[in-house]
Amino acid sequence: MSKLDRASLEAFQNQPAGQRKDYINVGMSACGVAAGAAEVYQVFSDEIRTRNLPVALHQCGCAGMCYAEPLVEVKTAGLPSVTYGRVTKEVAIKILDRHVTGGMLVNDAIFSINTGI
Amino acid sequence: MFTKIVFIKDTSAGPQDQTRDFYTRFLDTVRRFGFLEQTNVVRVADIGLYGHGIVVHILPDNIVYHNVKDTDIERIVENSVKADKVLEDLVFQYQPKQNRLVLRNCGKIDPESVDEYIQNGGYQGLKKALFESTPEQVINEIKTSGLRGRGGAGYPTWLKWTQCRSVPSSERFVICNADEGDPGAYMDRSVLEGDPHSVIEGMLIAAYAIGAAKGYFYIRAEYPLAVQRIQKALDQAAQLGLIGQNILGSQFSCNLEIRLGAGAFVCGEETALIASIEGKRGTPRPRPPYPTTRGLWDKPTIINNVETLANVSYILANGGQKYAGIGTPKSTGTKVFAVTGKIKNSGLVEVPMGITLREIVYDICGGIASGKDIRAVQTGGPSGGVIPREHLDTPVDYENLQKLGSIMGSGGMIVMDTDDCMVDIAKFYLGFCVDESCGKCAPCRIGGYQMLKILNRITEGNGKIEDIATLKRMSRAMQKASLCGLGQNAANPVTSTLKYFEDEYREHILEKRCRAGKCQSLARYSIIPEKCKRCSLCATNCPVKAITGSKDVAYSINPDVCIKCGKCLEVCKFKAVLKV
Repeated sequence: MSKLDRASLEAFQNQPAGQRKDYINVGMSACGVAAGAAEVYQVFSDEIRTRNLPVALHQCGCAGMCYAEPLVEVKTAGLPSVTYGRVTKEVAIKILDRHVTGGMLVNDAIFSINTGI
Repeated sequence: MFTKIVFIKDTSAGPQDQTRDFYTRFLDTVRRFGFLEQTNVVRVADIGLYGHGIVVHILPDNIVYHNVKDTDIERIVENSVKADKVLEDLVFQYQPKQNRLVLRNCGKIDPESVDEYIQNGGYQGLKKALFESTPEQVINEIKTSGLRGRGGAGYPTWLKWTQCRSVPSSERFVICNADEGDPGAYMDRSVLEGDPHSVIEGMLIAAYAIGAAKGYFYIRAEYPLAVQRIQKALDQAAQLGLIGQNILGSQFSCNLEIRLGAGAFVCGEETALIASIEGKRGTPRPRPPYPTTRGLWDKPTIINNVETLANVSYILANGGQKYAGIGTPKSTGTKVFAVTGKIKNSGLVEVPMGITLREIVYDICGGIASGKDIRAVQTGGPSGGVIPREHLDTPVDYENLQKLGSIMGSGGMIVMDTDDCMVDIAKFYLGFCVDESCGKCAPCRIGGYQMLKILNRITEGNGKIEDIATLKRMSRAMQKASLCGLGQNAANPVTSTLKYFEDEYREHILEKRCRAGKCQSLARYSIIPEKCKRCSLCATNCPVKAITGSKDVAYSINPDVCIKCGKCLEVCKFKAVLKV
């Protein structure tokens, strides 16, 4: 990585932030990890690879809803961005089956609707 | 592809969640209208509203209906699902109560990727500071914003910086105080783990403003993930030339380094923190001179809290004027609170200053988990106090909390219901301060210990009525004579519980009764003969054989033998054991 100066930083900042198309964000702060986010991340990672799904997997910080950890934000084309809470391995599989592959939101697991389709 | 997405959730606090039934009926109606293919109806686990009956949220129109009845389903489907009309009588004008500035990136970007931070507007503030402003202008921008220290005391940040800058010296230092140790508070950890670059950027701006070439992160070793992420962020920043020599090609150079704290609570006090960084034992020294004149290695030093620094990067990027528009005139901006205790949805909330405690507890966090009444909210950790339910409508800012006998503190907020005993709470917090007292000054070392002894006596049923006056006198002495903030504020939980709940202390002392049932030694167990089914389960489980009875006679507890362990209450299947 080369060092940034004023001009290259500006160029960097002006790059469109929306490079992320379809993504899954797993909250991986200490609180999330303590609630099992690492295992959930592993499930997503393995399944996305084996099924070759067109979705990017990221880790992120704590979204603040500690009562519902582990938190997973999912955004796919045509559906709003939603945050699933208390995600277990089973829910993770459901998210991949229904939401990512099937294009339908999963029942009883959404804790926050981050509006916008 | 769906044209409409409908979210459904029953938000009433009733015993039976109606979401599932309502969902079925809603789905049937949508099917009847022949719009099933185009609609995704979803049951959600939490919709962000509480006590609003059944809530229906429709996207992409972003309509929120509340208190929806079964009879409304048909017209909702007809007007708002099949068409785009809004039913005005059902609409709830949803105003988000939270305002995320400090947590702007937490939960959104990858904390281990500097690229994502930059692409989301990161290091804009640093760029503005370095290339578009003089250090004085940076301080002025902070002055315009009205930012005050988020560590708890609320000292104006610009004033601290100006004082440090005005002291002639060959060297100056910036320290980020990440020694967060209040029970139940974890705002700083979340920021460090979720958005480390925002704190680094804030520190660089602070260093530029005061003319420092070296900065330290003082993080406690109990936060391994935070330390790891900050280290990774520092490495990335160094690679990109965001820290080090000639930052971004400018004349400004600054190096940042991590120092680990061993987890002593007193090291969050600035003079003790400095001693700890210098490699000495972490004990405070009298102020003045303040660290801004004689700090680290006797050089002028500023110490800012994690949240303050995360605010600084936001203010520089977005302008002080905009920031000053949020919150109240004297306490501008937002504050992150860690809401825990008997709350339904515990977690981090970031709210504009001036919001009421009631809004935080009920509207954002969903109220009390047990459904019981709220008794008090504890703010400010062991240095703070309790705020009783009568004052829930007070707007939260530095001055108001102080008036109520508590402090803003770093942002821990512990909600207590009727099951919490106020004497026990005071004992817990005082015990924490006694454990963490460094022992350097007598008022804190001895005063705290003696007060704790009295509180222990009261909760064990051996209190004397004079104890209340003694507690008050000793709290005053500790407040006046202790060397640092830890000792001065250690008695706060006792003074504030005495202020609002003195009758409860009296009950413990005079009637030997704890109304919350928390103080084990004051509890009395008895068996209601009418309810006793003579199963002998309690007698079998009693560890001291205090329960006697037989198949013919109802069981009873001998109070002289009973050790009040509560086992009988736990095992009784017929609710025949009574605890008072």
